[in-house]
Parts: sequence; structure tokens; C-alpha cells
Amino acid sequence: MLSIKNLHASIGEKEILRGIDLEVKAGEVHAIMGPNGSGKSTLASVLAGREDYEVTQGTVQFLGKDLLDLAPEARAAEGIFLAFQYPVEIPGVSTTNFLKSAVNEIRKYRGEEPMDAVQFLKMFKEKMAYVNIDQSLLSRALNEGFSGGEKKRNEIFQMAVLDPKLAILDETDSGLDIDALRIVAEGVNKLKSPNNATILVTHYQRLLDYIVPDYVHVLYKGRIVKSGTKELALELEERGYDWIKSEVDQ
Amino acid sequence: MLSAELSTTLQDIAQTLGLESEQGKALSQFLDKGFPTSKWEEWKYTSLKDFNGIDRNWFPKGNSNSPISADWAELIIRSSNAYLSIDKTSSNDGIEVLNFNEFIQKCPDFLEIWTSKKPILDQNSLFDLNVALSPQHPVIWIKKDVEISQAILHQYQVNSIEKASSVQSRLLIYVEEGAKATLIEQQTSTGTADILSNFVQEIFVSKGAQFTYLKDQDFQQGVSHIDHTFIYQAEGSQVDTFTFSLNASLIRNNLHFYIEGPQVVSNLNGLYVPGENQLMDSHTVVDHRMPHAESNELYKGVLMGNATGVFNGKIFVRQDAQKTNAFQSCRNVLASTRATMNTKPQLEIWADDVKCSHGTTTGQLNEEALFYMRSRGISLPAARTLLLLAFVQEVINKVEHPVLRESLTEKIVAKIQQSVDLSN
Repeated sequence: MLSIKNLHASIGEKEILRGIDLEVKAGEVHAIMGPNGSGKSTLASVLAGREDYEVTQGTVQFLGKDLLDLAPEARAAEGIFLAFQYPVEIPGVSTTNFLKSAVNEIRKYRGEEPMDAVQFLKMFKEKMAYVNIDQSLLSRALNEGFSGGEKKRNEIFQMAVLDPKLAILDETDSGLDIDALRIVAEGVNKLKSPNNATILVTHYQRLLDYIVPDYVHVLYKGRIVKSGTKELALELEERGYDWIKSEVDQ
Repeated sequence: MLSAELSTTLQDIAQTLGLESEQGKALSQFLDKGFPTSKWEEWKYTSLKDFNGIDRNWFPKGNSNSPISADWAELIIRSSNAYLSIDKTSSNDGIEVLNFNEFIQKCPDFLEIWTSKKPILDQNSLFDLNVALSPQHPVIWIKKDVEISQAILHQYQVNSIEKASSVQSRLLIYVEEGAKATLIEQQTSTGTADILSNFVQEIFVSKGAQFTYLKDQDFQQGVSHIDHTFIYQAEGSQVDTFTFSLNASLIRNNLHFYIEGPQVVSNLNGLYVPGENQLMDSHTVVDHRMPHAESNELYKGVLMGNATGVFNGKIFVRQDAQKTNAFQSCRNVLASTRATMNTKPQLEIWADDVKCSHGTTTGQLNEEALFYMRSRGISLPAARTLLLLAFVQEVINKVEHPVLRESLTEKIVAKIQQSVDLSN
């Protein structure tokens, strides 16, 4: 599904990603871990198409297409979804209006007929159950005055509605208490299928108690320095990142 | 200064009007000053310098367009090149539309009120031009304790076919004690020539009365509209104004509120959306002369293409106006890198027990928000449109009249959409 080869990316003069290689297949869950400043969020942003970063080397193929060639909205239409670490407040635009625009723009891209109000109502109702989100939240201006938990829950609700092939969750666990974390994780688990894949970017092992990864990768200084299974995450939880850092730095 | 040629033409007109008449005197005053240029502080960004050399048809005839209808209106009046006609009469004898002399005969007490209240005119030669050349002086009279539930519609039209022309319109509105009314004014134009539309309105809102005034300014390119609205509010009255500036080569709105009694509420709402080759200028004055009054001003602008916007908001709180609450906010989005916005809030406070706040912002659309929307599949033009509409909705949503709210939304959406599509 996703094939990243030798990916280098910089912001300004500063090189942040220094040769990432990663293969993700349908049905898989990959966790990307690593200490602060290792480039985890940069990787998520580059995949979603944030223009602040310049890709200097390497390729990213997504379902046979050159992902780096596509505008952010085209990537979304091809099936990429980024759940933001800090969801942006959109004053004056309700979640429902926002999602109606998004769904119909994506359908237009794919050459499908727009959905009407009745179809939306039905779909929203169905997807609300995934994350146990309240109707009143959806009619409010998107993310404006939402608590940390509400913002993250709203991200997962958007993910449920847009039904992506590859979901990238950037530090979705940050700022969540244990109950909110469980609800968000349950949502993600319900959305998992043999046809889609998930990349979890996280600093702590905590989220992985709820969403069990097939693979765990450790990112350090812009490279994947260690890959393993979920046991690697547990080892990191116990020993921290220092042992990996010293291994690499030697 | 006026060109020699134009000066001669207007001097001849002054002779005809009679040099000693009120009109002749006003024209002489105009002749001394000419049209404002950018050297005049109040017209720094809105120069009418070129007008000093344009000869016009100074008395264009009215146009006998077919009557307009609107089932939501209690009364429909239409002015075409300053000539008033009534398209739909009201069955309510609490409203009368008549000319000034007739009105003074019926309501002699008003003359004293009128002569005692002259607006503070700072660098305003156009007011003189209007007094000199306006052919009619109509009055809308809403009588004591009359509540008009449906709106009054005023269709303000300027028409020009061949030659550049000048339309000088006047309107006086007298809302008597305890009365309640809404006036909706659709300002439009026909014809392709250059038109100077200069409109003076004096509005007297008596004790405990309520008045809502909505202007929908939607002219063709080629029209320069100068609007002077002077509102005098007595004790316990409330006035809400809505000024929507949609299209014209140039719009200058001078909106002055004079708070002359306690417990007055004044709400000023404005939205301007100038596009390519358009300039829109809002000069507002809220003059708190008496205590315990409240004014709220919310103006917003979206500037597209190479548009220019101007906002100058003056708030005066006189020494007697203790316990005043005065709020002003002006927020603008530059939707194009070629657009310009000039803002100047100006608060002068002499009383010491008041609450006043003001804020002006001018910025571009939030890049983070645009990326967030694009990452969900919304194209850049659609994302920009969605954000701009959300921005203007705050003002539009304050319009209570459902028909107007819908038609304004439609027109503003279309204008923003078109501009966003052009820039991508």
C-alpha cells in the first residue's frame, strides 16, 4: 500500500528526515516511536503534504501513485488521513458542514455523485456511534473551544466518515486522560479492516495497550534505527530511549 | 480645486438658483472647496480629485421603470435619480410619505427640532453640493406609538445612459415617540455611464422609539456613491443599522450617530466586500452626548482583487456621558495579495466613568486552517470560500429579515466564490 524509500525532508536549511524506508501493507498497524525531536511528526506531515517541508530525496508510493506529486486534498481523496496532534480551530464552520464539503469534494475527485442531506444524516448517525460523540458537538464551530479530548474524538469521527485506506495518527494520545484514550482507541479498532492500514505516531507505549501494533519502529535523528514487534514497545517503556540512542550514536 | 470650466458651469447654476437662496449659498460654499482630494485628512485614502474636472448632467431626469413589488413590504417607495414615487401604498395611516414643506405644515413643531440639530460636518463639501442641487426633499413620517411590523422598502436607483451625471438625493425620516419601524434600502443603478450618487439622510428617532435601517449597496461599476446618514437619538431609543457594501467603483459611507438622551442603544453593523477596481470606505461617528447609553459597532471586510478598503471609526464620549458603554470592532481579511486595507479607530473620551473598547485587525486566511481543510479533501478554492463565508456570516446572521438575509447571503457567496475561482 505505502512504500517509502530513502525519504529526506528539510524545513528551511535543517534536514529532519535523513533516509526513511518503510513498507506498509493493507491490514497492518505500524507504530512509529522515538524520542522528542526525532522526526516522527515531520514524517506524518510530509505524508499528508504539508508545504512547510521540502522533500529533498527519496520516493513515496501510495497504491501505485507517486504521493509526493499530489496536493494535500488529492492525497485525502486517494485515501490518506492524518489525525492532527493539534487539530486546528475553524471558526464559523460546523463539523457537519465541514465534513459535507470534504465528502462531496472527495466524491467529485473520484467522479461520484454528491451525497444529499438525507444520506449525510444517515451516515453521520451511524459513524457517531464509533466514537460515542454527541450531536451537539458536531453542530458547533469545528474545534472551537473543544477540550483536548473532544478535539481528538472529533478527529476519529472525521476519520470514520472519510473512511481512509491509510490513517496516520499523530500523537493522538497526547493530552488525553485514560477514559478518552480508551474511547479513541476503540474507535480506531472498530475502523480497522483487512483493506486499510494504520500508522500510529506516539511517544509513549500507553496507546499501544489499546491499539496493538503489528510492527514497531523507532525513529531517531531522522532514521528508523530499530524495528520489531509490540515487544519492542514494551522494552522501550521499561528501558527508555537512551540505550537505543547510545547504540546508534556509537 | 474645480476646473475653470466646471466652476463656470456651477456658477451659472448658482445664479439660476438665486445667490441668496439656501441652495445658492450652499453651492457657493461647494464652489469654494470643490471635491475632496487626498490632501483632506478625512479623504486621505478616498480622493475624488478627478471629479473636479468632470462636467456632468447635474439634473438628470428620473426613470419611469415599472413599479417594483415585494409582498413582504408594508410600503414601497422608489427614488429614481432623486425623484420619489410610491409603488405600494400602506394601509396604515401611521406612516406618511410627503415632501418637506407639506410635512412642516402638518407637523410645525418639527421645524425647531430640525434647525437645532445640524450634523458636525468635517471636510464635507459634498453635503453642500447635495443641499444645493437635490430636486426634492421627501420625508418618511412614522407617527407616535405606531408599530410597523413589516418593513418599508426604499428602492434607491441612479440611472444614467449617455453622459456622466450627478444625482443629489435627500431623505428625512422622523420616527415619533414610541414608534417602531424597519427600513430596507436597496441601492442600485442602471446605465453604463459614470454616475456620482450623493445621498443625504437625516433620521430623527424620538423617545423610546425603535428603528432598524438596512442598506444593500449593489451598484454597477462606474457608480461612485457617497452616503451621509445622520441619526439623532432621543432618550430610550434604539437604532440598528446594517450597511452591506457589495458593488460600485467607489462607496463612501459617512454614518453619524448622535446620542442625545440617556438609555439609548445604538448598534452599527457593516460588511464590505470590494473586488477588482473597487474602493469602499466606512467613516463612522458615534457621539455619546448623554449618560447611560450603549453603542456596539461591528464592521467586517473581505478585500479581493486589487480592492481598497478604508475604515475610520470615531467614538466621542462627552463629559456628560458618564456610564457609557461603547464597543467597536473592525476585522478584515485580505483575500488577495494585491488588496489594501486602511483602518483608523479614533476614540476621544472626556468622561471618566465609562467602558470603551476597540479593536481592528487585518490579516490573511489562516494557513494552518487551510492545510487542515485540504488534508480532509477540500480543495484550496473551496477551503478559502468556506473560511471567508464563515467570516462574513457573523454580520449577515444579525439580519432578522429572512428574505433579506437569504438574498444578501446569495449575492455575497457568489461574489466571493467568483473572486476565489479567479485567483486560482
